[in-house]
Amino acid sequence: MRVTPAIALRLTTLAVGALVMITPFLYMVSTSFKAQQYVLKVPPQFIPDPATLANYERVLTKGNFGHFFLNSVLVAGTSTVIAVFLSAMLAYGFARYRFPAREWLFRLLLLGLMIPAMMLIIPQFILAKWLGLIDSLPGLVVFYVAGNLALNTFLLRGFFEALPAELDDAMQIDGANDWRRFLDLALPLGRPALATATIFTFLATWDEYAWALTSITTPENQTLPIAIALMQGPKGTQWGLVFAASIIAIVPVIAVFLTFQRHFVQGLTSGAVKG
Amino acid sequence: MSFTPTRRGALLSMVAGAAILIALPALADDVTLTFWGAYGNGGNSTQQDALNATLIPAFEAAHPGIKIKYVDIPYDSLLQKLTTSAAGGELPDLVRADLGWVPQFAKLGVLVPLSDTMADFKTFADATYPGSLSTNLYQGKYYGLPLDTNTRVLVTSQAALDKAGMSAPPKTFDELKAMADKLKGTDMQVFADGGLGGWNILPWIWSGGGNITDPDLTKASGYLDGPDSVAAVQMLVDLYKAGQIPNLIIGNSGATSTSDGLPSGNYATILDGPWMAGIWKDQYPDFTPIYASIPAGKGGSISVVGGEDIVLTSASKNQDAALEFIRFSQSEQFQVEMVKTGQMTVIPAYADQQTAIAPFYATFGEQLKTAKSRLAISSSSKVDSILSTELTPAFKGDVSVQDALTKAAGQIDDLLAAEK
Amino acid sequence: MDQVRRYLAPALFIAPGMLLYLVFIVYPMLQAVAMSLFDWQVVAGAVSVFRGLDNYARALADPRVWLSLSNSGVYMLFTVPPQIALGLGVALLLKDKSPAQPFFRVLYYLPVVTSWVVVSLLFKYLFADKGLINWGLGLQVSWLSDRWTAMVAICALGVWKGIGWSMMIFLAALQGVPQALIEASKIDGAGPWMRFRTVTIPAIWPTVAFVTIMLVIGGLNVFTSVQNMTGGAPGGDTDVVLTYMYRQAFEFLDFGYGSAIAVLLTLLVFALSAIQLRFFRNETMA
Repeated sequence: MRVTPAIALRLTTLAVGALVMITPFLYMVSTSFKAQQYVLKVPPQFIPDPATLANYERVLTKGNFGHFFLNSVLVAGTSTVIAVFLSAMLAYGFARYRFPAREWLFRLLLLGLMIPAMMLIIPQFILAKWLGLIDSLPGLVVFYVAGNLALNTFLLRGFFEALPAELDDAMQIDGANDWRRFLDLALPLGRPALATATIFTFLATWDEYAWALTSITTPENQTLPIAIALMQGPKGTQWGLVFAASIIAIVPVIAVFLTFQRHFVQGLTSGAVKG
Repeated sequence: MSFTPTRRGALLSMVAGAAILIALPALADDVTLTFWGAYGNGGNSTQQDALNATLIPAFEAAHPGIKIKYVDIPYDSLLQKLTTSAAGGELPDLVRADLGWVPQFAKLGVLVPLSDTMADFKTFADATYPGSLSTNLYQGKYYGLPLDTNTRVLVTSQAALDKAGMSAPPKTFDELKAMADKLKGTDMQVFADGGLGGWNILPWIWSGGGNITDPDLTKASGYLDGPDSVAAVQMLVDLYKAGQIPNLIIGNSGATSTSDGLPSGNYATILDGPWMAGIWKDQYPDFTPIYASIPAGKGGSISVVGGEDIVLTSASKNQDAALEFIRFSQSEQFQVEMVKTGQMTVIPAYADQQTAIAPFYATFGEQLKTAKSRLAISSSSKVDSILSTELTPAFKGDVSVQDALTKAAGQIDDLLAAEK
Repeated sequence: MDQVRRYLAPALFIAPGMLLYLVFIVYPMLQAVAMSLFDWQVVAGAVSVFRGLDNYARALADPRVWLSLSNSGVYMLFTVPPQIALGLGVALLLKDKSPAQPFFRVLYYLPVVTSWVVVSLLFKYLFADKGLINWGLGLQVSWLSDRWTAMVAICALGVWKGIGWSMMIFLAALQGVPQALIEASKIDGAGPWMRFRTVTIPAIWPTVAFVTIMLVIGGLNVFTSVQNMTGGAPGGDTDVVLTYMYRQAFEFLDFGYGSAIAVLLTLLVFALSAIQLRFFRNETMA
C-alpha cells in the first residue's frame, strides 16, 4: 500500500484519538501490576515500579474466580445466543410484515428501553420467586434474554428494513416459505447487524450486576461482576486486585468482539442486490 | 422488661427445656441457617476466614444439627439486596446489619424483637456498651444485639505536632483553634473530614454541649439549632473559611482523602476509626498514627458510635437455632477472635484482652464509654441527607449556620413526628 | 381464513420474543407504575395506602427533582452530539479494509468494555485536585467540588466511554452503503464532503436515528458514573434523576415516590423519543 498524504493524515488522526481513548485504560493495566501502597499515588506513576504479579496471582488462586468466570461464560453465552435469535425474529416480523397494532407493539418494546431498570428490580424479584427462577443460572438467562430483546429488535429492524425487497420476492417465487426466507436470506444478509447485536448483548449480559446481585444468593451461583464487587469494601479497597480482576474479565468480551467484528467486511458491499 | 430473679431463672430453665425438645428432632434433620454480611469485602479475607474457618466450625461442633452458611454480600448493595429480599419474603435467618438499618427494618416488621423473644436478652444486653446497644432500640423494643463496634477518635501525626509546636494532640476546642493559628501559612491544614452527615458533625455538636434532639426523640428544633450546636458547627465553618479545613468536607470527592492526607502531611488531624491502623500499615508503613480523644468542648469529649448489629429476621424458620448463634456471637471466643481481625468488641469486659492484642484500641475503648449513637429512628438515613444538604451552603458562605441548622431541625422535626 | 394466513407468519415470528418480553418486562413495569400510586410498603403482605397521584404531585413540587432533571438534561446535551459526531468520524476512518483497521477498532472499543464502576473511579482519580488533568493542564481546580466543573468531568467520562459504541453501529451501517452509489457519485465529480452528504448520510439515516434515540435515552438515564464519581455531592448539587430516585427508593425505602419519579422520567424520555422518531422519518421523506 502506497502511503499518500491522505492516508498518513488519517493514520495520525486515528493514532492520536486512540491514544486519548486508551490512556485511562493503560493506567488501569499499570495499576493492576502495583502493590497496594503504590495504587492511586500522586503524581501518577505510569510504569509500575516495583511491578508485581501478586494481584493476578491472588485473583486466580484465591477464592473461586475460575468458577465465577465459568458461570459468567455460561450465562452470557446462552443469553446472547437466545436473545439475538429471538430479537432477529422479532425484528424480521416488524420489518417484513404489516399487521394490526404493529407500531403499537413496537412502541411497547421501546418503552422497555426507557424505564430505569432499577425500578423493575423488586417486581421482577417477586415474579422470579413465584416462577421459581431465583438463585439459579437459568433464572439469570431468562431475565437477561427478556431484558436485551428491545435494544436488539430496535437495532435489527432498521437493518432488515433496508434489505432489498427484490431478493425476498425472488425467493418467494422460488417457493421458499417465510421461515426459509428468514434463515437463508435475512440472517446471512444481516450479518453486520447481527454481529453488532451479538457484541452488545454479550457485553451487557457479561457485565450485568444489579439483577445478578438481587436474584443470586448461593455463592456457587455468583457471576463475575459480583465477585469483583466483593473486592471493594466500605473501609478500603484493594484497587490493584479489582483492576487485575477487571482486566481478566475483559478478555472474553474482547474475544467476542474480535470474532464477530470480522463479519463487518462482508455484508452488502459485494453487490448481491444488483441483477 | 423486668423479671424477679426467681421468675427469670424459672423462665430460663423452661426455655432451656423447650430448646432441648426442639433440638431433639433437629438432630435427625440438620438445620441450616443463612447469615448475610459484608465481612469479606475489600479483598481482605481475614475476617471472613476467621468466621468460616474458626468460629462457625466451633459453633457447629458445640451445636450438632445446626449448620451456618455465611454469604458475603457487597456492602454498597447490601441494603438494596435486603430490601428486595424483604419484598420477596426471601430474607436470610441472620444479618450483620449496619447499625443505622436496624430501626429501618424494624419498622418494616421484618425483624424479630429480641427483647421479647430471647429470654436471656437482658443478660447479654447489659454486658455490652450502652451506646452500641441503643442502636438496636426501636419504639421501646430491642431488635438486635451489637456485634462489633467502633467509634471515631482524633488521629494526628508527630509531623503535625512538630509543625504546630505542640507536645500533645489538642485536647479542647480552644487548643484545636490554637493549633490552626500555629499552622497558618504552612501547607498543612488543621483538620479534615469527608462529609457533613451525622457521623461527621455530631461528635463536634455533642462535644460542644449541643444535641440533635431531646432525649425522647420528639423534637430537633431548639436542640440542633440551639446555641451550643450552632457554636460547634460555627467553629468548623470558621476554620473552613480560614482555609484550615479542605473542601473535602463539603463532598469534593477529588480532594485528598483523610486517610492519605494525614500520613502525607496535608492534614494535621482527622477523626477516624480503628480500621485505619491496618490500612496505614499496608500503605504507609513509615507512618505512626497518634490517637487521642476527640477535643472536648463544653459537653466534654463525646464521639459517635459505629459498627454492626446482629439481627434475626422474622422469615427465619429456625429461630431457636438462630438465637443460639446470636448468643454465640456475644461469647468471649467470638468477640476476641474478631478483635484479632480488626473488629472492636462490643463487650467492655473484653476490653483489656483487646488492648493486649493491639494497644491502640485503648483510646477507642475509652472514647466508647461516653460515645453516643445517632438517631435510632427508621428514617435515620434521611437525617444524614438533610444535614449535608443544609450545611453545605453554610460552609460555602451562602447562608448562616443558624439558618442552616434551623432549616435542618425543622425537617428532622417532621421525620420525628412521622415516627410516632 | 385468508386473514389468519396473512397474519400467521408475523405472529409466529413475533410471539416467542414478545411473550417473554410481556411477562418479564411489561408485567413488572405495570407493577412499578402501580407502586407509584401507593405509599408502597416493601414487605410482602404489608398493607400499602393508596395515594392516587400524590407521589406525582410531590415530585413535581420537589425542587430537587427539577435540579436533578436539569443535571441529567445537561449531561444528555453535552454527551450525545459529541458521541455521534466522533463515533461517526472514527467509523468513517475505519470502514475501509486495511491491516491496521482491526487493531484501531479494538482500541476505540476498549472503553466500552471496561466496567462503569472501574472507569468512574479512574476518572474521579484523573479529575482529582492533584490528579492527572490538573497536573497536565497546570491547573488548580477542584473539579468535583462544584456543580458545573463536576458535570464537565462526568460528561467527559460519558463521551469517552460512549464513542466506541456509536462507532460500532456506524461501522455496521456503513457496510450497507451500496458501493455502486458511491462510484456513481464519484463519476459525477462529487467531492468527499458532497459524497458524504448526498450518499452516505441518506443511506445510514435510520442508523443515525437509532443511535441518537438510544443515546438520548441513555443520557437521561445516567446513573453509575455520577453515583461513583460524586454521589451527588456537594449537597446534592450534582444529583441526576436516577441517583436521586435511587436514594429515595433504596435508601429511604420510599418506593412509591421513587417509582413516581421513574415513571415521570420514562414518560419524558418516551415523548422525546417519539418526537425524534417523527423528526427522523420526516427528514427522510424530504
